[in-house]
Amino acid sequence: MGNGAVDAHESTARAPFAPWDRRDIPGSFSVDETARRVGNYKWTEMKLFEALGGWVATVPELDVKMRLGTHCYHHAWHADLWHKRLPELREMKPERLTVPANEAMERFIAAMTEPEAPELTIEKLVGVYRVLIPRFIAAYTYHRNNTSEITDAPTIRSINFILQDEFDDWRDGEMLLQSMITTPDHVRRAAEHQERLEAIMVEAGGITGPDSIGTAETTSTEGGA
Amino acid sequence: MRQFFPVEDLARDERFVQTNMAERMKDGRTAIDVEKTSSAKSRGATKRLTPERHDASDAARGLMHGIMVGEIQALEGAGRTAHDFAAGDGTNDTVPFELKLDMARQAWDEARHVEISAKLSDWMGTELGEFAENTVLFEAACSNDPILRLAGVNRALEGLAIDVFTQMKEFGDVAGDPFLEFCEDWMLADEVTHVKMGSDWLRKVTANDPERRTKALEFQQVVDKLFSFGGARGESADSSFSLAKRFRELAGFTDDEVTHVKMGSDWLRKVTANDPERRTKALEFQQVVDKLFSFGGARGESADSSFSLAKRFRELAGFTDDEVETISQMDAEALEERKEAVRKYRERVGADA
Repeated sequence: MGNGAVDAHESTARAPFAPWDRRDIPGSFSVDETARRVGNYKWTEMKLFEALGGWVATVPELDVKMRLGTHCYHHAWHADLWHKRLPELREMKPERLTVPANEAMERFIAAMTEPEAPELTIEKLVGVYRVLIPRFIAAYTYHRNNTSEITDAPTIRSINFILQDEFDDWRDGEMLLQSMITTPDHVRRAAEHQERLEAIMVEAGGITGPDSIGTAETTSTEGGA
Repeated sequence: MRQFFPVEDLARDERFVQTNMAERMKDGRTAIDVEKTSSAKSRGATKRLTPERHDASDAARGLMHGIMVGEIQALEGAGRTAHDFAAGDGTNDTVPFELKLDMARQAWDEARHVEISAKLSDWMGTELGEFAENTVLFEAACSNDPILRLAGVNRALEGLAIDVFTQMKEFGDVAGDPFLEFCEDWMLADEVTHVKMGSDWLRKVTANDPERRTKALEFQQVVDKLFSFGGARGESADSSFSLAKRFRELAGFTDDEVTHVKMGSDWLRKVTANDPERRTKALEFQQVVDKLFSFGGARGESADSSFSLAKRFRELAGFTDDEVETISQMDAEALEERKEAVRKYRERVGADA
């Protein structure tokens, strides 16, 4: 404008997707399956933020106490994101799908939240940062990479925000653990507790059950589930 | 992990020394001039924390340390409330999902406040644990009734935090300490948010419950009166807390709330809809907590008020009769010792000065 005539006949027609935009429709999950997974996410995030909040008063280490309080909110926010996503996935009663993937997952949470005594900070942190959060990262990553980039974009957006928290929190927790595990006995305690919890988690199959990260046997070379 | 966590099990490292309110107030290095607390008319002039006070350094450091341990307990209390009650419709020991989210958010905020307070304490030359920690704040968060916690902690004690932060912010300004003023300003913003959160919930809780609304308003009047650091936060121009009133207005304490009996609170209403006894008990607990947090009743109208309040608090909080009686006797003795200790301290500091 202002520097010469505009060609009234210059076409403004463009392809709906720019050349660099390679998003595509196909996705591995139906609406119902997505809702089921989101319900599992919400249930587990809730259990995690409740545990972190409850543990704050039980740990004597001041830096750990403050980290748990901070991470408590992160996971509450994740639960809220999923709570709000469920009605968008045709589940008007979010509580109906706010359930564990299976009985083993419920058992895992019970075992993870069992340590309470002030001298069991290592066990508390191991359960969250060496078992549960790595499973969250795996399940979220699988979901993000396998759902439809167009039809399920809202879920992907939430997962991306959540994954940022999960990675940051995992790093916080792992560094706290490394700073606290300073003797062979500490190593033994951490390993034994992790082994116990990991076994239950394997039974559960992950945050959303056996298909939390797909199965290598059935996953095609194209990356579909 | 247990559903409810008793105050005596609060986890601390070896630097912290926990005590009760009376013992804590025996420490002469306090911002509260206890010698003057029996004279309501003189409170405003004597308790204001200013750099000119001969004990300003110790008083400010003690207050900051008190803030820090208070924030730790607030963090723990919010975390426990996020944990202790399942999400539900507010009945049968459940709380609404959104209330749990608010508690988690508050836990994060309190965690930041601990971080800030720890840095400020270090900035002011205070070691962690240099002052005793009284755990009465967390005691108010120990009830197994979520409504009692909501009434006793979220609204009343967060309101107290606004007052304390206002005083410290003002002290930072007057003392020429921009670091202190900056930090307090930020914490103050958070506390206003917390109090507003409490106000919003209470509105919902009493929306259809005029009786509860009346009692809540009565409670608020008590808070305004007793959370005044012995009257220092009066209506006069000399008040240390003139700004606090404005903050409270921003936090949702409107004139309508004070003068009318119509306000809401779906959650409390739902929880106590079929349990008037529980509702009454919650209100009484809230009033007791409010009064008790007037520094053990030191700011009350009578010398005996601290003990009767503390006694009732412990009864409601589940202490046994023997425990209540024993602690009451100890409190009475401790107060006398404290008065004597503070008198001697003042004499010594005055002579040194």
